Amino acid sequence: MRYQELFPVPIEWLQDSDRSMVETISLWAEQEVKSKRLEHKEDYEGLLLPAMRKLFLDIGLQSMMLPEELGGGGIDSPDAAVTTTAVLEQVAAADSGIGFLFANALALQYALAISPNKSAEPLKEAAPVFTGGDIALCSLVLPAYGSDTKERPRYYGLDYPATAVKTGAGWVVSGGPARPQCCGATASIFGVVCDLGDGTPGMLIVPAGAKGVKKGKPFKKTGLAASVNADVTFKDVKVPGSALVLEGIEALRAVLSWYYMACAAVCAGSLQTTHEILQEWGDTRVIKGKGQVFKENPLVASLMGEIGGKMGTSRLLTYNLARMLSRPDVYGPAGAGSLHVSAISAFKQVGRMAMEAMDNTMELMASAGYATEWNLERYWRDVKTVETYVVPETVAQTCMARQYFNLKQL
Amino acid sequence: MRTIDDFTRPLEYLSPLDRYLGEIGRKWADTEVIPIRRDFDEDWEHHKLIEPCFRSLQAEIGFQRMLFPEDLGGWGLGHSGYMGTGAARLFEEVARADSGMAVAFGVLFWPLVMICVEPHVNRRLCEEFAPMFMESRPVFAANAMTEPQGGADIENMEIVGGSTIQTTAVLEGDEWVINGHKLWPTNSGGVADLFGVVCTTNPGSKDPDDLAFIFVPAKTPGCTQGGPYEKAGMAADKNSDIWFDNVRVPSWFRACGPGLDALYFKEVVSLGNLGSLAFVSGAMMNVWEILRDFTSETTFRGKPLKENDDVAGVLANFAGGVDIIRVLTYQYARMLDRPDLYGDRWSEEIVAKGRAYKYFACDKAVEDLKKVMNLMGAHGSDRAHDVEKHWRDIKIVQLWMGGKQLCQMEVARWFYECETL
Repeated sequence: MRYQELFPVPIEWLQDSDRSMVETISLWAEQEVKSKRLEHKEDYEGLLLPAMRKLFLDIGLQSMMLPEELGGGGIDSPDAAVTTTAVLEQVAAADSGIGFLFANALALQYALAISPNKSAEPLKEAAPVFTGGDIALCSLVLPAYGSDTKERPRYYGLDYPATAVKTGAGWVVSGGPARPQCCGATASIFGVVCDLGDGTPGMLIVPAGAKGVKKGKPFKKTGLAASVNADVTFKDVKVPGSALVLEGIEALRAVLSWYYMACAAVCAGSLQTTHEILQEWGDTRVIKGKGQVFKENPLVASLMGEIGGKMGTSRLLTYNLARMLSRPDVYGPAGAGSLHVSAISAFKQVGRMAMEAMDNTMELMASAGYATEWNLERYWRDVKTVETYVVPETVAQTCMARQYFNLKQL
Repeated sequence: MRTIDDFTRPLEYLSPLDRYLGEIGRKWADTEVIPIRRDFDEDWEHHKLIEPCFRSLQAEIGFQRMLFPEDLGGWGLGHSGYMGTGAARLFEEVARADSGMAVAFGVLFWPLVMICVEPHVNRRLCEEFAPMFMESRPVFAANAMTEPQGGADIENMEIVGGSTIQTTAVLEGDEWVINGHKLWPTNSGGVADLFGVVCTTNPGSKDPDDLAFIFVPAKTPGCTQGGPYEKAGMAADKNSDIWFDNVRVPSWFRACGPGLDALYFKEVVSLGNLGSLAFVSGAMMNVWEILRDFTSETTFRGKPLKENDDVAGVLANFAGGVDIIRVLTYQYARMLDRPDLYGDRWSEEIVAKGRAYKYFACDKAVEDLKKVMNLMGAHGSDRAHDVEKHWRDIKIVQLWMGGKQLCQMEVARWFYECETL
């Protein structure tokens, strides 16, 4: 039985075109990533970049959310939430690092292209980057922990990575070094969350090649080999007025809600491959002392049950969040407090369950769980990296408490 | 300022050598390993960075000789009455720097336990192998136990009783002829100079007399090691396949003899659990140091991270966990040092309790490290802070020696007197 049938989600939310895309991406995953993995491991040039070219350019994921009239795929309504979730799941099943890059692109394109954000000028400015034939990686640069105690406007306790000052028709962005969410060394575009001067957050599109953008040396991290990350400094970077793609807390929260959904899909997708790996392990190993197929041992089975439960619940939560974001007419805008917190909550829960399921799978596989040959450990490292990058735990907890229990001061 | 030395140990248990072992180990870690350990992951195959660290620890300081009797050039730890607590201290300090190095270092003593430790010292084999460990280069030994299909089944001695071992030892004249295939030994992959090989003299038999622990120098004809496996962490610990193809060694290379090999092999498991506990304790103390600095220098809500109540809650849980794991480590070390009070190191009770402590400590550490990484945000998975390295390494400690389920079975079997598990 296929994974999608083993762990069902409400299928009436998926359109035929979504299913067709899922098939296409599954084929890409098998041909371009999984079949080459033993040979190339996590090699960026040898495996990941060629696979990304195929996915982002040849299949067209890079521009799928831009309007057709600008050369995009035209999936530019809120329905894109479910479509992209289904797609992201398959991308992450192949490589969660590539999935995370796509999640960043998705959040940025949401800010640009999905109604109600859609605005002609910024779209027209940005579209050629995505449709021009070169791979265009995107990265969000989000508020983060700071390094001093000076009084200044903050975003829920976190320091803004940069400030943006209006000068004539344009903006001047200054700040950093800041840690992008991904691919700081290879990104074409940064979506930088800035303090617009009075503590109001805004997101500005900053091309990586703009004068004053300085990328640091790529640094090492636990996982996400597809994301070659480096800290970035913005020194008096001048961008046009149209670079401001959103303004205000609710607008920023809306982008983050979509980002959390996308990252939940990355975690859920990683579980799909975890299931494949564990299925094979359980079918083929024998507890020799008992002459027993591994999965038929009651202790093993009990843990497998737990793992399966987390896989199924992760999918359900992720797709439900996607559905809620796809129907603002029913559930309200993505940036509204309640939906935003549901997005945080779903992402944190899916991330946690994914880690637990992978931890437990590794426990069942013992040494094979941490050997690269069996592939599980790369997903384990990737998902943990996603979990840490997207939002620090204490910030997520505070956001949830604020909404759920009506906090007044935090 | 608080330091890792503020974490609790039962002071009355400690070895007279404790202070010296600790100071030497700490200095070695701080000067030779911690400054460069971040690049160890890329060094997993060739050990260009890692090997000099081993050279310094084992050959120049001389720790590789410590288990052998004094008259053979050793330090006599095997009959000191402080092997457990002494080893715990040293392994802690090494693991604080790098638990991959700690396991490679610890495992060099593992097969030697069979012949160097009272009450089962094999003087002739000590004399045979001691010169090797007195050399001025790092020398390693390894236990070849795990086999393909069934993995660490052979460590499940109570139930399987050696019946699943497929590596055979046949006595021909005054030589053992060994044939078989082993997987995963720490210090394989071309590192070890000496193997302790778990064999059967009668395939399929559960008779303890038929389990043989036989020493095989790595250069013996017919003994072949594969290339190291690539893993999620622990780059300093090389693991590979080993094949024994009509390998011939003298008959007296068998460690203790029929029945006794099987008996004392359980002691190897106990000491493996002690090593695992000490590795976790050392790594966690280092994370505590990193966390202390990170949460003092990083700000959230306009004040140092650690001054936020919610963050402090996470820090408190973490510190409490470190303290408990450290106490547990030394408690178990003491139990191994005092068989007159706690029972033989190879007894079912001591093995089961070691398994219980080991998997409790590992589970606690893995869960706490995940929370710490989440607290640190992107810096938690950033190699510059080394927390993620300890997380990867401790996960491996949690999984080795048969994985968690084997631990659970042994613990349940002893505490609940299960008869069929």
